[in-house]
Amino acid sequence: MSKSKQLALVIDLNVCVGCHACVTSCKEWNTSGSAGPLTDLNAYGANPSGTFFNRVQTFEAGTFPNTQTVHFPKSCLHCEEPPCVPVCPTGASYKRKEDGIVLVDYDKCIGCSYCSWACPYGARELDQERQVMTKCTLCVDRIYSETLPESEKKPACVLACPTSARIFGDVHDPESEASKAIEERKGYALMPEWETQPANHYLPRSIMETIDAARNDK
Amino acid sequence: MRPQFSIIFFTTLVGMAQGLLFFLALSNLYSQATPNAFLTHLGLPVAFILLCLSLLASFFHLGHPERAWRAAMMWRTSWLSREVIALPALMAVTAVIYFYALQSEVPQWLWLALLFTTVILWVCTAKIYQCIRFIQEWSHPSTLTNFMLLGLASGLILLELLIALWGGSAAQIIDAPLSLVSFLLLFLSFNLKLWIWRRNRSLKPISNLSTATGIKGNNIRQTSMGLMGGSFNTREFFHHQTDRMIANLRKIILLCAYVIPMILMAYAISTPNILMITLALLINYLGLLAERWMFFAEANHPQNLYYQRVS
Repeated sequence: MSKSKQLALVIDLNVCVGCHACVTSCKEWNTSGSAGPLTDLNAYGANPSGTFFNRVQTFEAGTFPNTQTVHFPKSCLHCEEPPCVPVCPTGASYKRKEDGIVLVDYDKCIGCSYCSWACPYGARELDQERQVMTKCTLCVDRIYSETLPESEKKPACVLACPTSARIFGDVHDPESEASKAIEERKGYALMPEWETQPANHYLPRSIMETIDAARNDK
Repeated sequence: MRPQFSIIFFTTLVGMAQGLLFFLALSNLYSQATPNAFLTHLGLPVAFILLCLSLLASFFHLGHPERAWRAAMMWRTSWLSREVIALPALMAVTAVIYFYALQSEVPQWLWLALLFTTVILWVCTAKIYQCIRFIQEWSHPSTLTNFMLLGLASGLILLELLIALWGGSAAQIIDAPLSLVSFLLLFLSFNLKLWIWRRNRSLKPISNLSTATGIKGNNIRQTSMGLMGGSFNTREFFHHQTDRMIANLRKIILLCAYVIPMILMAYAISTPNILMITLALLINYLGLLAERWMFFAEANHPQNLYYQRVS
């Protein structure tokens, strides 16, 4: 039995269509919630710039005509060994013992940006107006909300995803949907070489196995 | 990484102050080499002013300078926090020595404490960068050695200038040997810098797009970073300068931080001369500013893998 809890997201790269609904719903919830406001500067100008907890990027692999396009959502991975936490000089960055969420206490943050240097994933963004470090909270104010109905006690990005590419759960509980997805579909972690043990996992594109098999048959 | 002038000024100014205090402590450890009046009127006040200026510069790095005191909390795990404690500690030891020098003689244990605190501060400052294991340019003992050697060299040139300004018989006796030592320190740090640049060029990135995304397949490339107008990630971790500017700056660093001061120091060995030493100090400091700029600019952060293409 698992001794602790580690909440995390599991992202299914098979079905992410790159619609950015998770990006906008994350921004909408968190800019108006306890983690906000997430400032936008020059929002209607030529170079708008703002704070986001979640981004969707796009990658290509292979050589034409055998190429694939992969939409790749990226947010804080809530590492089990978060390198951003011990470097914080004030203790504003911390990892919660009870559920493994990595958070920033905005009232203690001095805005030195050192934690962002110590994150290999670029998951942290300094809010330009508030001058404090911000990052994904796994919608900690939603999942423990006392007013939201049970079905909505999930991160905003998970609820918004039209293709159910985002699975939320306790990756230390082998019975959770998230753990099962990782187990059954070979979920993997990003940049394993730095031994940060990210809690968030990504599910590889199984369609590529089918395509490769078809190619090998020819 | 983006070079930030607050940190560039902080590390160069505090390095010079540490070098000055280190050699003041070393020269007075066994027998008093500098007169008390020199210590109280020139040596220690100049060092203290440099420490204050560097502390001031460091505040410009913070988004919330009014909360800076909180940075002393996490000394158990954070080198930045340890530095935040070590700098005021060095200022305190300097102040105590100043008051001893005003009253009577400075006891040997205080000089030892000063020597110890300057080295501790070097370790803390360098470790801030060295301990980030995935910035391969920084994650190497040469980061500490480079900071120390350059701080010692600039601090010694400053000490030499102060002694020359103080005048008297001491200046004539010790300025030539001091020139020789600063020449040697510059020569050592020059070779170390060349070695560091060679090492940086030959580094093979441990992370790549394959490990960063886990996508199976060859020839992985980004087609969109998911934003168009820039973000913290595109501002903080890139230097946004052309290759030509970087190449030119490298030449300026070699000339100003090392070669010209070395020539001036070599000249000062035979004929100690205030003008030569002043020039050496100024040119060396300009070179140090460029050297520290480059220290940040040439550090490649793995997060940059995720921020390659706008659309």
